[in-house]
Formats: sequence, C-alpha cells, structure tokens
Amino acid sequence: MSARIVLESLPYLLRGTLVTVGLSLAVIALGTAAGLTLGVLRFVPWRGVGRGIGWAVELVRAVPLLLLMFFIFFGLPAIGVGLPTLPAAVLAMSLWMMVNTAEVVRGGIQSIPTGQVEAARSLGLGWVPMMRHVIVPQAVRRMIPPFVGLCTILIKDTSLAAIIGVFELTRAAQETIERTLRSFEIYTVTAAIYFVICFPLTRLAQRAEARLARPS
Amino acid sequence: MTAGPTAYSFAWSAVWRGLPYLLQGAAFTVFVSALAMVVAVALGLVLAALTEVRGGVARPLVRAYVEVFRNTPLLIQIFIVYFGLPQLGWRLSPFLSGLSALVIYAAAYNAEIFRAGLEAVPRGQHEAARSIGLSELGAQRFVIVPQAIRIAFPALGNNLVSLVKNSSLVSTIGMVELMFVANDIAFNNFRTFEIYGAAALLYVLLVLALTRALHLAERRMARAR
Repeated sequence: MSARIVLESLPYLLRGTLVTVGLSLAVIALGTAAGLTLGVLRFVPWRGVGRGIGWAVELVRAVPLLLLMFFIFFGLPAIGVGLPTLPAAVLAMSLWMMVNTAEVVRGGIQSIPTGQVEAARSLGLGWVPMMRHVIVPQAVRRMIPPFVGLCTILIKDTSLAAIIGVFELTRAAQETIERTLRSFEIYTVTAAIYFVICFPLTRLAQRAEARLARPS
Repeated sequence: MTAGPTAYSFAWSAVWRGLPYLLQGAAFTVFVSALAMVVAVALGLVLAALTEVRGGVARPLVRAYVEVFRNTPLLIQIFIVYFGLPQLGWRLSPFLSGLSALVIYAAAYNAEIFRAGLEAVPRGQHEAARSIGLSELGAQRFVIVPQAIRIAFPALGNNLVSLVKNSSLVSTIGMVELMFVANDIAFNNFRTFEIYGAAALLYVLLVLALTRALHLAERRMARAR
C-alpha cells in the first residue's frame, strides 16, 4: 500500500465523484419523472394501452444497462443519430431508471386493495382524480423503499458510463491508475467512495421498509 | 426509393452471419450465470446461517461483507479482482476473475435474502420442531431452512435475473460471453445497430424465459404446500 499515492490522487478522484453525483441526480430526476408517468399510465382504463406499456417496460428492463448504453452510443450513429458520450450515457441510464421506476410504481399500485378502486368509482370519481387523490397517495408509501433501493443501484451503475468514456469517478480512477499503476489501492479507495454515497441510502431504504412493516 | 448518401438500410445479412457466434455467447452467459448462482446460493445460505449464531465475530463480519459488496459497484469489484489482485501476487484468468466477482456480489445479496427468509419463519415452528424431539440441527435442516428457502425463492429468482444481466460486465475483462461477442462482431463489421439490437433481443429472450420458468416453479411450490 502506498498511502502517499492514494492521498495525492484523492483530489482527482473527488472531481470524478462530483460528476458521479451530478450524473446520478440528473438521471434520477429524468428517469423518475418519466417512470412515474409511465407507471401510472400502465393502469389507464384502455386495456391495449396499459398492456402495451407493460410489454415495453418488460422488454427494456430485460436488456442489460451496459448493452443499452452501447446500443445508444455505438449503434444509433449507424442510423444517423450520433450522440456524444455524456448525453448517450444519460439517455441510456435515464431509460433504465424510467422502466425500473415504472416497475416500482406498478408494484406499489397493485398493492392497493381493489376495494379502494371500487370505493372511488362508487363515489363517481373519474380515472384521473381517482389515481390522483386515492390510489397514488396510498401507493407512494409502499414505493419508497424499493425506489430508494433503485437509486442506490443506479448510483453504482453510473460506473458503466466510464466504459464509453464519460469522465466520472470510475473513469477518474482508471486515469489515475494509468499514471500510477496502483490499481489495487486506487480501485479500493474508489469503492470506498461509492460506499460512502450508497450505504446511507441503503440504510434509509431499510428503515423505510421497517416502518412499513410495523402496523400503523 | 431514392437513397441519399445518409440513407440507412438494415443489414439482415450481418445479423444472420453473426447469429451463430451470438448464440454461442448467449450459451456461455447462461453457463456463467448458472454456475455463479449455484455457488452464490450455497455461499449465501452459509453466510445467512452464520448470522444466526449469536455472539462471536461471525455475525458482524458477515454483516460487513454484505454491506460492503452491496454498496459498491460490481464493475469496480470486477476490476479489483482482475487488475488489483495481481498487484498483490494473485493473478486469476479473466474467467475466474469474472466468475468470482459475480459470485461474491450475488452471494452478498443472497445472504441478505436468506437472512430475511429465516427471520420470516414463525418462531413457533422452531419450538414445535424441538418439542417433537428433533435436534437443533434437525429442526433447522427439516423444518426451518426448507420454509426459509420457500419464502426466499421469489427474491432469489430476481437476483438470478439480475445476475444474468450483470454478467455482461465481465465482458470488460475479456470473458467471452454474449456482450463480448457482440462487441467483437460489431467492431469488426461496423454493423453496430444490427448486432447490438440482436444481442439485446437475445438477452430479452433469456430473461423472459427465465422469469417464466421461475414463475412456474413458484406456483408449483405454492401448490405443493
């Protein structure tokens, strides 16, 4: 172990960390907004639309994020849609976040007893007000633990952006290693930085889950 | 149709030519995922059992293992095994590096899944098993663990699906699975759109088949009860 090299590389790694945090926040914001919408739309009263959305979500969810990223970054230019590394990574990760959020939303909404739907219907509520005032507010409570878990996975997975050349924490680590040849130390420190970001979130998810399990 | 200089036509021929190799890659993806899952399930079960032992260092150590590996990127873990360990004199092949990283990562999740499963078995089951004369080990072996596995099954299934997708990351250190094969072909014939599209479709088929199978198994388990 060479503590000096690690200490000297730390500022550069922290610069990468800032990008990782920014990237994660941007993707979470974009992906969550789109995913919430998609997830709720899956329950529209028109059967075909709901089913179509369900299939699309399943399809995209089955593709590994790395492949999604390569498809967008290397594949789309072939049909004339060339994106630079950062937008390509953001698009791929936002798509990933969108479909996985939609899945969380589905789980949350399906956990609401059908009696709630019947009650809302019998009060004469239309689909939109029913979703808005009855179903979604109750479902959100149950979506929080898996959603926070999803955010943790996303933060870890932003490391994949390094593979197509986006500068973030993992790329910063790779560049540092090219200079110092100290892969063990640098990657370990990098893992520690990810841990510091992700562990509190995991704890938060566990606490939210425990709170849900307790009878209110 | 008038074709401008930027007009694009989907080259089915590239897909057909690449398909045999992609299928081989997919078979290897299945092989690696299955192997990693089998080991990770065994390891996860042992780790979860260790956390049941009160007192001693096993419990905090297992907790630390689970939290460390669940809260750091798999890609970095793969890089530590493949690029980092040789620095300490531990050189593993791409296959063994990738496999062990996948196992260590998935086992951390499995340990947590089994722990939750064991905790979900009602206490009365343990008391009942002991009161009909089963030894502690017998009670665990015949009463507690089978129920815990049944409870844990859906979560384990999800973890297996994640593992299949996550195995794409070992392409970065040169294990020749589906993702690696796709890169290899795409960077040679530049038919990136077709090849990555075909690879994505293969992953979709793999994952859908797997989820179907898991669903069926889950239902059979529920009926057997």
